[in-house]
Amino acid sequence: MLELLSYGFMQRAFIASLLIGLVCSTIGVFAVLRGITFIGAGTAHAAFAGVTLAFLTGLPPFLMAVISGLSMVWVTTYVQEKGKMKPDVPIGVFYTFTMALAIFFIGLMQGYRPEVFAYLFGSILSVTQSDLIVILVLSLAILLVLALFFKEFHFISFDQEMAEASGIPAKKLSFLLLNLIALAVVIALKAVGAILVFALLVIPAAAAQQWAHNMRSMMIYSALIGVGASWTGVLLSYWFDVPSGATIVLLASAVFLFSVLFPGKRQGLRRF
Amino acid sequence: MTAQPIVQFSQASFAYNGHTALEDLTLDLHEGEFVGVIGPNGSGKTTLLKALLGLMHPVSGALQIFDCACQALRCEHRARIGYLPQKEKTDPNYPITIWEVAMMGRYGSLGLIKRPSKADREIVLDALDSVDMADLKDHPFGHLSGGEQQRVLIARALAQRPEILLLDEPTTGIDATTQRRLVELICKVHQAYRLTIVLVTHDINMISSIAETILLLKTKLYAKGPPAEILTKDVLSPVYGEEVIIAKRDQKPYIILSDEHHHA
Repeated sequence: MLELLSYGFMQRAFIASLLIGLVCSTIGVFAVLRGITFIGAGTAHAAFAGVTLAFLTGLPPFLMAVISGLSMVWVTTYVQEKGKMKPDVPIGVFYTFTMALAIFFIGLMQGYRPEVFAYLFGSILSVTQSDLIVILVLSLAILLVLALFFKEFHFISFDQEMAEASGIPAKKLSFLLLNLIALAVVIALKAVGAILVFALLVIPAAAAQQWAHNMRSMMIYSALIGVGASWTGVLLSYWFDVPSGATIVLLASAVFLFSVLFPGKRQGLRRF
Repeated sequence: MTAQPIVQFSQASFAYNGHTALEDLTLDLHEGEFVGVIGPNGSGKTTLLKALLGLMHPVSGALQIFDCACQALRCEHRARIGYLPQKEKTDPNYPITIWEVAMMGRYGSLGLIKRPSKADREIVLDALDSVDMADLKDHPFGHLSGGEQQRVLIARALAQRPEILLLDEPTTGIDATTQRRLVELICKVHQAYRLTIVLVTHDINMISSIAETILLLKTKLYAKGPPAEILTKDVLSPVYGEEVIIAKRDQKPYIILSDEHHHA
């Protein structure tokens, strides 16, 4: 076990999975409670389209992922307000639009580019030193903003109209939250993959909800499940040479299934 | 009662997507007044509340809330207006305690980033106490009945230490006994906190027994006055149609409307 940690790539994988698990599972709590998880799937595919364009043009993939992920949030918010529609409609449109763009860009590439597919399926063991620095900086920034506006995000998740009427700048904070979700998805993109990152946003929070009676405990349970599944996934991926992203999601899904079958709430565990 | 109104509508009109919801409204609300707002569906009752919350601005005319135009209403002004929205029962699975819900009443005046102080916690406990929910404060909010959830949401509004309390159909979807207790509670907080109350409802008989002033709306202000003046066939029929029947119960008028109007 300890010799594992002497490998640089394993150290990076453990640190990256800790940060990604923590960020996605805590921000996922707000996404799940507000019912806006779909934006996570949308931004993941938009970010992937950005990555494919980066490989096609030689631009930095991470930067392109950030730009296209955030653009997804801005464009869908604008279209939603302009067209007075429910958020899932523009997200659904741009989700498939950006995926079509990604397939188009891949088609324009010369030959087979395996590094592109790492972003689609995830490869946590291939996280580089510079990837890790970006993940670290963005994770800390997201966690800091979450901590600063925790009570406001809590309020708008419970009831946005009530929050606005009480003098909370609810619309601005709601937009900020969407941007944070997009950033969380982008930092998890290379490690977990565009297809599976949505799971890391939804599953730990949804499982935690089956156990938690208040916001703080839901955050803690969700973080434990997110980080626990990520670390276990990395270990299993190394030992059995199985895909890391898929293993993490399968483990989290197992926890979810368990929590639905045996919800802690109905068994009187309410002091937490 | 002070001479200076705390809310002043001057020929104000409000519209949703170009569709007029309230027209040419001129109205003053005074400190400590208990106003009941009635009218058929789509008569602009909720629009009136949205306007009072500063969430909807007049397309013509003016609306003055406290000492500023509603367009200039800032967060600190909003914190002085308590609001009980018409809300569906919260999902039992939503992880929030009674205490957390009531504490949200403090967030507006606390400001961004800042955390609640000991004084805030005392105010919240006091508010929960006044609705008889302090003992259950660590209980999950979603596990409460509809009537109990309303009590907690009233406590949340009271924790704001508001000067005006807006209530949107507070008794809808609640059984008769709980309704009566809720109405008693609203009267109690009106007296205890000297609150200005604006209560929107379709229950004419309930509101006429508690409010000092009734506003009858149907896209515009049809009538304003004490319940005894409003609860007559002459006043109600033009708005509700011919189906209005006025019976007597305990020496007081009792209004029966056709089902079509009565259900929200």
